[in-house]
Amino acid sequence: MNAVLPQLTLEQWDARYAELVRGGLREPAYGGPLSRHVEREGDLRLRQLRFDNSAAALRLWNFLLTENERLRAARDRGDRLVGTMKDLGTVPVLAYSLPGLRAFYPDGAWWTPCLMECSDRLLQQAEALGIDASFCPVRAMLGAFHSEEHFPLPDLLVCSAGAVCDDFSAIAQRLERLGQRIVWWEMPRRRPPEAHEAVCALPGGLTAPQLQVDVVREELQRVAGALGELAGHELDAALVAPGIRAANAVRRQLAALRATVYGAQGAPLPALEMLVAEMLAVHFCSDREECLGVLRELLAEAQARVAVGKFVTADDAVRIYWVNPVADLRAMNLLEECGGRLCGTEFMFTHALDLIPEDLPPFEALARTALADPMVGPARDRARRVVAECRRYRAEAVVVARIPGASHCPWESELIRGQVHAQTGLSAVELEIPPVCDALLPTLRTRLQTVIEIARTRRKS
Amino acid sequence: MISAGIDAGSRAIKVVLFDHANSRIVGQGIADQGVEQQRLAEQLYERTLREAGLERAQVQAIIATGYGRNAVRFAGTTITEITCHARGVHHLKPDARTIIEIGGQDSKVIHLEDGGRVRDFAMNDRCAAGTGRFLEVVAARLGVDLPTLSGLSRQSRSPAIISSTCVVFAETEIIGLLAEGASAPDIAAGVQKSIATRLISLVGRPIAGPVYFTGGVALQAGMVRALEEALASPVQVAPQPQYTGALGAAILAARVAA
Repeated sequence: MNAVLPQLTLEQWDARYAELVRGGLREPAYGGPLSRHVEREGDLRLRQLRFDNSAAALRLWNFLLTENERLRAARDRGDRLVGTMKDLGTVPVLAYSLPGLRAFYPDGAWWTPCLMECSDRLLQQAEALGIDASFCPVRAMLGAFHSEEHFPLPDLLVCSAGAVCDDFSAIAQRLERLGQRIVWWEMPRRRPPEAHEAVCALPGGLTAPQLQVDVVREELQRVAGALGELAGHELDAALVAPGIRAANAVRRQLAALRATVYGAQGAPLPALEMLVAEMLAVHFCSDREECLGVLRELLAEAQARVAVGKFVTADDAVRIYWVNPVADLRAMNLLEECGGRLCGTEFMFTHALDLIPEDLPPFEALARTALADPMVGPARDRARRVVAECRRYRAEAVVVARIPGASHCPWESELIRGQVHAQTGLSAVELEIPPVCDALLPTLRTRLQTVIEIARTRRKS
Repeated sequence: MISAGIDAGSRAIKVVLFDHANSRIVGQGIADQGVEQQRLAEQLYERTLREAGLERAQVQAIIATGYGRNAVRFAGTTITEITCHARGVHHLKPDARTIIEIGGQDSKVIHLEDGGRVRDFAMNDRCAAGTGRFLEVVAARLGVDLPTLSGLSRQSRSPAIISSTCVVFAETEIIGLLAEGASAPDIAAGVQKSIATRLISLVGRPIAGPVYFTGGVALQAGMVRALEEALASPVQVAPQPQYTGALGAAILAARVAA
């Protein structure tokens, strides 16, 4: 059995950081020891996490945790900020096609209560603003807009509506009522084409009626008009095409990273770092070029580890396919603590991972990509993808994370688990993970350990 | 070979000593759970060994299971209670396909494949309203112990309707029902019905039978009746239902020792 690469506590990372610096570590401007995020930003949760020990992982974390600074610095330099809400990956491609615009993802505030172990009081603020615990933790975004502490107020807010998450629509409407101007764009519910309709192929092997794609394309052109107005420069197809190619460069990098990590015999990178890395696809963490650099370094680390057979889990770790992101990052560590390893994910934004077609007119290509959003179509489409990836990456069990309050979770989860079991015979467990899951750790551990025990028993039979 | 299974549950600790050569239980014991979980488990283990006429050295493997399994440090390893209950019930009743276990702080439904392998499981652990804790709260409110509560429900003519999905609010409802003159038997039956109803969604449809009921709550005959009515399916009580988790652990210990 190979020696397992250690995952480090925050304290251990400080020592590791000093060692790397002594060894000549070269860092970007946002570099530094991880523990400073606890001291300066109050990211208390970092003290409970275990991190990958590589310089590439250090860069990933520092990139993630300095987004607020990056956005404020960009504004100081004269960039205009665009908050792109809910669509998870398409409008940022448009925004970054224009010089002087920087898109970010206010919904990302849903991790702030976790990172700050609720000391931010964002959830309480959201409740005071009329959005209580019966909604998804993304309601933290409302408190963040109110406090203006976690991201600068954007110059323009763009939000998809229609066949998107009910919770998010309600929260965003509340935000608008509180005085934030929002450019809404309509996302129809994706449906199979009827016999008389022209069929349009979407990324991810999906199809939709061309009529729906036309609607989304026109909506995106309207959004492009608003972005162009903000930038003082028309956003036409000639500008969007290189924007798509640049976005695809990030997506290709992520695809290579996923294939390397999930396809490997052992796990070259931990589940937690893979979750963070995949989330970068949504809006490039406010710096598309740097995002690419972060992912390149991470991929190089993963490839180097695979080449020498060094992994972060034991050789016999159970291959787990994970559905939905977790509100508490600690849950990803738990997977490895219980004897599992990540071998695939479906974090609800697969349309931000699939390549945007480059051989189509740019707005048509973006419309098709947007309509492939797993959240705007039937859950059976999600289940189909999960089943296919379970087979591709030889999953031995499936974990469906449930986000407390998220209205889509209860019915989607049941359908996905049912389809996985019916088509692959794999056991699928559901875990509900609140923003700080400490009190639930024993029961979460029991569930994960059970699914791993089931998988191990299957290996023997 | 003799092995031991220790089920450190939230309400009680159970120990089973199993002789693999004869495939039989050679000792068993039960004690209340408490704050000093390690010490209580050790005391019970020693007592069970003594009563069985065995020495520690004769036990070749120990597995701990249950909510407090990690506190049992003298065990060789731990296995989850789901796997252990499944193994224990399968040993006693090889035809079992669905197991319902209602414990002190959670309830579980375990689906088995041919050969007793766990196919899938579902747990309710977010609310005490579907667990044995609910029965304890109600028994305390009615001023009776748990066996008496079970007997009371048998006298019910019209089970009270407990509408709340939360034990805390349900207790408030019970106070209201008592104030309205509802009888203790009707309240007891109403609570059992409420717990059973909450389990239906965990069981799923169609129900794969035979269904076995295990865990300490399975000793409550009224609870068995309530489950049968809610599921519209026969429910059989596993032999010695409090011990199936510890039994499964003891049986699995042989595999670990090998």
